[in-house]
Amino acid sequence: MAYDASQDPTKDVRERIYIPELLRGLAVTTRHFLLNLFRDRDKNTSVVDRKSASLVSTVQYPEERVTYPPGYRGLHRLVPREDGKPRCVACYMCATVCPAQCIYIEAGEYDPADPAPDSRVIEKFPTKFVIDELRCIVCGFCVEACPKDAIRMDTNQHTPSEYTRPSFVYDIPKLLKGPPVSHPSDPWFRRSGSEEPPYQPVEAHSRIGEGRSESHPVKSLPAPAAPVVRFSKGG
Amino acid sequence: MGRPLMVCFAIAFIVALIVALMAAAYGVAYLAEGWFEGGARLSNILFLMLLFVMVIATLLTVAERKWSAMIQDRIGPNRARIALPFLRDRALGGLPHLPADVLKMLFKEDFKPAGADRLLFNLAPILAFAPSFALFAVVPAGPTVAINGRQIPMIVASPDFGILFVFAIASLAVYGTSLAGWSSNSKLALLGGVRASSQMISYEVALGLSLVGMMIVFSTVQLPVMTDAQARYLWQAATDFDFGLPAWGIFLQPLGFVLFFAAAFAETKRAPFDVPEGESEIIGYFVEYSGMKFGMFMISEFVEVVVLSGVTAAIFFGGYHLPVGEQWLSRLPLFEEHPWLFGTLLGSVFWIKVVLLCWVQLMIRWTFPRFRYDQIQALGWKRLLPVGLANVFLTGALILWDPSLRALASVGILEIATLLVLTFSRRAPERQSSLAGGTHSSSAHGALPQPAPSAGQR
Repeated sequence: MAYDASQDPTKDVRERIYIPELLRGLAVTTRHFLLNLFRDRDKNTSVVDRKSASLVSTVQYPEERVTYPPGYRGLHRLVPREDGKPRCVACYMCATVCPAQCIYIEAGEYDPADPAPDSRVIEKFPTKFVIDELRCIVCGFCVEACPKDAIRMDTNQHTPSEYTRPSFVYDIPKLLKGPPVSHPSDPWFRRSGSEEPPYQPVEAHSRIGEGRSESHPVKSLPAPAAPVVRFSKGG
Repeated sequence: MGRPLMVCFAIAFIVALIVALMAAAYGVAYLAEGWFEGGARLSNILFLMLLFVMVIATLLTVAERKWSAMIQDRIGPNRARIALPFLRDRALGGLPHLPADVLKMLFKEDFKPAGADRLLFNLAPILAFAPSFALFAVVPAGPTVAINGRQIPMIVASPDFGILFVFAIASLAVYGTSLAGWSSNSKLALLGGVRASSQMISYEVALGLSLVGMMIVFSTVQLPVMTDAQARYLWQAATDFDFGLPAWGIFLQPLGFVLFFAAAFAETKRAPFDVPEGESEIIGYFVEYSGMKFGMFMISEFVEVVVLSGVTAAIFFGGYHLPVGEQWLSRLPLFEEHPWLFGTLLGSVFWIKVVLLCWVQLMIRWTFPRFRYDQIQALGWKRLLPVGLANVFLTGALILWDPSLRALASVGILEIATLLVLTFSRRAPERQSSLAGGTHSSSAHGALPQPAPSAGQR
């Protein structure tokens, strides 16, 4: 025979005749029932902040959405520059650090003879940048590894559902979105028409030993076009 | 409009609907009685059984989902919508789920397992559904009123055997469940059917005994007579507006009420007595049923809830009678002139009582964990049966001693008071002192390690 609950020493006469305890239990459920029936539901999406008498803690999902915490890692995006090109310089750091190996990059090189100013300040750009969202384990290492702040997970979106597996492989047109980001240390701000890049104070993203020479003062540093998101990684 | 207002409006709407339907029931019964002798009974079948019982039972399917959600701090079903311009964005309290469920059941495949007995497999849902439905025939839903010289009863049938009909037909329903279990050619269904029949046997006796007290009190087995006997007062204040303690069964036989409610609850096969169904282990006697056949089992459960509420209201809560002020109301010129209005009022009172009792049953169903199988049998045979017998003897003795029922009512009120005192008194502090813990941990709990009793635990 199983454990005989009737030998429980905590049982007193109320529990022995069962009905008083039954009525107490009914009082609890009735209280919940009446509160939830008659009181308005607080629709605050943060359940812990709800102050209404109604005890319902449901968030009606498609209409109400829980606000994600600031560090939430959503769908990737390739961060664009002011001119709409990706900030990415195809350094392969994210592809190397990715534990799921879901990033595939093919690098292209700027032609040094090209008169376009890009070719004078950065050498490489991605011709292919592909993330397989099904393989991604959303660890965020790529964001941490990126030296150019070119990949972020600040979209606050889940990966949307698709019907086929190939649709989950995101390429540059699908990844390149969101507000453009600029840093004062970005090399394309140093375009001044001169052969050598102008001097910039050392910042987080500048390379070691870069621009140490005092002989090239800043000639004309163009002000970045508004709106510019400054140093708000992960926001 | 705030939610409190909206809920009050919905409740008022339901009450108004009940009043209107009751007035219609009297009106149609009057017309039918004029058409041929006994036509009122036919219209009562339509109104009381098909309209009131069926509609309340079907609404209870949605109510159970919605009310259980409220008990459990959820919202409940609210996603089915009606695609009309002004209704598209309204959940309507989950009501559109009702037609959605019905359509789903109607259009699902009617599956018959291989090796199932075709005749009995098809017969079982009907056998389960029809008896619970027929039970309501002897429950009076309103007073018999005279309109233009025609006597209009608000009951389908008033045979001499009254409650015995309820007992007989209620136990017939188990044929449906046990046949469903047997004919499905499934071991789990068979287990459910066997459990249903054994549970039915152990509670049938207690069910009968619990009402013997009421039969002694009112010296009748007919529900209309019982109901009318509860219209008078045990103690009455000498005022124009009649006011006092009505001779309701709950005051005369609180013990009988508890026994009856528990036994009848077991008969409905709902939690905490849902062992035949056993959602979490065997799915129960209807595990092989699909589509509307399963729907008939489900709806018969809710019909039983409504019928049980009706019988309980008629026997223990004064039926269609108001607790106070009924005689004063009946002397009002409006009601003296139009007796059907008075009947409508009392009939609405009855249905409101029924709905409230349905609510109580659903609250009980969503409050209590289910009993283990041996606990169910022990409760039926070792608790309810002896207590029921004692109740019969006590009632008989008290009636012999004081035929005016006042002694019985005093004992009944004493019982209720004792129960309330036990309920509201604070529990004794947990006995985890060295005395209880020391003697107990070694013997009863066996290998279960007990935490060392600390001084601060008292």
